[in-house]
Amino acid sequence: MSALNEESRQIIAALAQRVGPNADSARIAQVIVSFLQAMEAALTPIIGPQGVAALYRRSLQLCASRHPRVAHISDRVQASLDLNALDSQLATESEADALYFGEVMLTTFHDLLASLIGLSLTSRLLHDVWKPYLSDTSAQENSP
Amino acid sequence: MNTKVTINRLATGVPGLDEVLGGGLPEFSFNLIAGPPGCGKTTLAHQMMFALATPERPALFFTVLGEPPLKMLRYQQQFDFFDDNAINHSVRYINLASDTLAGDLDEVLRRIVAEVEAYSPALVFVDSFRSVVLASQTQDNPNNNLPQFVQQLGMLMTTWQATTFLIGEYFSETDTNPIFTVADGLIWLRQSVQRNSMVRKMEIMKMRGQPTLPGLHTFRIATSGIKVFAPAPLNQVEAPLTFPIQRLKMGVPRLDEMLGGGLPRGYSLLVAGPSGSGKSILAATFLAEGARNGETGVIAVFEQRPNHSQNATLAGLIQSGQVGLVDSRAPDLSIDEIVQLLLSEITRLSATRVVIDSLSGFELALAPTFREDFRESLSRMVTALTSAGVSVLMTSELEDRYTDLRFSPYGTAFLTDAIIVQRYIEVESRLLRIMAVVKVRASAHSDELRLYQIDDDGLQVGEMLPDREGLLGGRPTQQRKVTFEG
Repeated sequence: MSALNEESRQIIAALAQRVGPNADSARIAQVIVSFLQAMEAALTPIIGPQGVAALYRRSLQLCASRHPRVAHISDRVQASLDLNALDSQLATESEADALYFGEVMLTTFHDLLASLIGLSLTSRLLHDVWKPYLSDTSAQENSP
Repeated sequence: MNTKVTINRLATGVPGLDEVLGGGLPEFSFNLIAGPPGCGKTTLAHQMMFALATPERPALFFTVLGEPPLKMLRYQQQFDFFDDNAINHSVRYINLASDTLAGDLDEVLRRIVAEVEAYSPALVFVDSFRSVVLASQTQDNPNNNLPQFVQQLGMLMTTWQATTFLIGEYFSETDTNPIFTVADGLIWLRQSVQRNSMVRKMEIMKMRGQPTLPGLHTFRIATSGIKVFAPAPLNQVEAPLTFPIQRLKMGVPRLDEMLGGGLPRGYSLLVAGPSGSGKSILAATFLAEGARNGETGVIAVFEQRPNHSQNATLAGLIQSGQVGLVDSRAPDLSIDEIVQLLLSEITRLSATRVVIDSLSGFELALAPTFREDFRESLSRMVTALTSAGVSVLMTSELEDRYTDLRFSPYGTAFLTDAIIVQRYIEVESRLLRIMAVVKVRASAHSDELRLYQIDDDGLQVGEMLPDREGLLGGRPTQQRKVTFEG
């Protein structure tokens, strides 16, 4: 991945925090899916289910093209917008690959949204998704 | 005790809109913002929303099948009024696309009511309402009764003490649409395109319970948002002329004499003359004389290259802040926009002297759509300025026509209180200039045609040419001595 911005760093930190030490692939898959569900829940009332689905598909496609290491995961779940499919697929991956996919997928989704509606509004809308899993709360209060 | 209900009027946060609405937006009203695509409906709604929403009384913005919300958020945040921090606090977006797609108006209404009950909003927006209508029409469901839906929505929103806006694309105001009847307010936005110019106009076609300003009002959309140019309020009772008349010095002593002692305060003066006759110099002298007496002034320049046509005196006055410069090179100006620019400069500087240089340039600066009404526009501007108590000097380019005596190409001479006309004449192979005071309302003035010249000190008024006649014809002749026989 290229140089991480502050938000990506937070997302990765929140993911690691929630996954905890010595987690297996199933646990990692479950955490990633629950983050995606929380993002979906935060965005659906505002941009509608079609809007969220479009962002999800585009994020998968970006992950596949930019991160060959996990491209096969994106490719396999691309056909379906069902998060259960992603859950099952991730559970079959190695812990390292599952976690890596989680990092790139969540940050890609975030960056995609930020490229469309701006970083500050994105942070505002998705704030509550990461907030409970960030030990350093002062880091999030840096938006003006 | 008066027990009649008082309708609160909300300040919309859109400059000029409250004036056009007749004092603000009536609280709990049910309104329609209509107009063709791209005319600024969604922007107007957002600007009012961010101005009026509070965390206690938030705004709900229902997005239906119109502009996708993702794109709306993307574009609307370009405006200064868009506040990220308000989102999900005082401003909530709610997407109803899937409910609307199903075409069931009852379900749409139920969703809206549920959200309204949950958040108790002060403001409700439905964008675009047109798509609700269309979705209902594509269904063969007899239960979809649009008039009933609109009527119920209007009733429920008012009962829940929400000021509501339906935003929709309507191309014809003669549509027999039920919402036109139910709505308390109809704000119609238009774009008038003529040749390469586009002017945005707004009309309040209906606003129950208050006197709106009739007609089309121009507005602009900038990064700060929408700005409506409401016509300048006119003083109903103009201050009566006080005697003795207070007079302003023009900076040319002999011209003051010709005017009967100077230009009466609060008068409008037209200086008409051909190219190069010194109109702008006289205008600059007028402002300089004011500055010398501690008065401030404002000059509106409508020339192609304002910086190049300025003389040194004027540039100095502008530099020192004694004269404010209105130099709007924005395309497609409207008269109300110019008047507003002038009035705000006048207020800022407490100015007493105003110069418009020149009416010909001013006409060119106006959007083509306003040029047909130029006389009327001019009349409104002169009235607005003089009723603000300032004295106005306007210059007008006048093609020399030696067959008749004309003062301005617009037939506007009657608008002004005083007129000075300048002419070229040919005498002994020289091009000389003459000037006369044609009119000073309610005041005695000179009837002389006087020579004048322009030098480094400005305009120097000289003598008459009593031995010549036919000056206005441009080629005066030596007067023949008339001798009486007998």
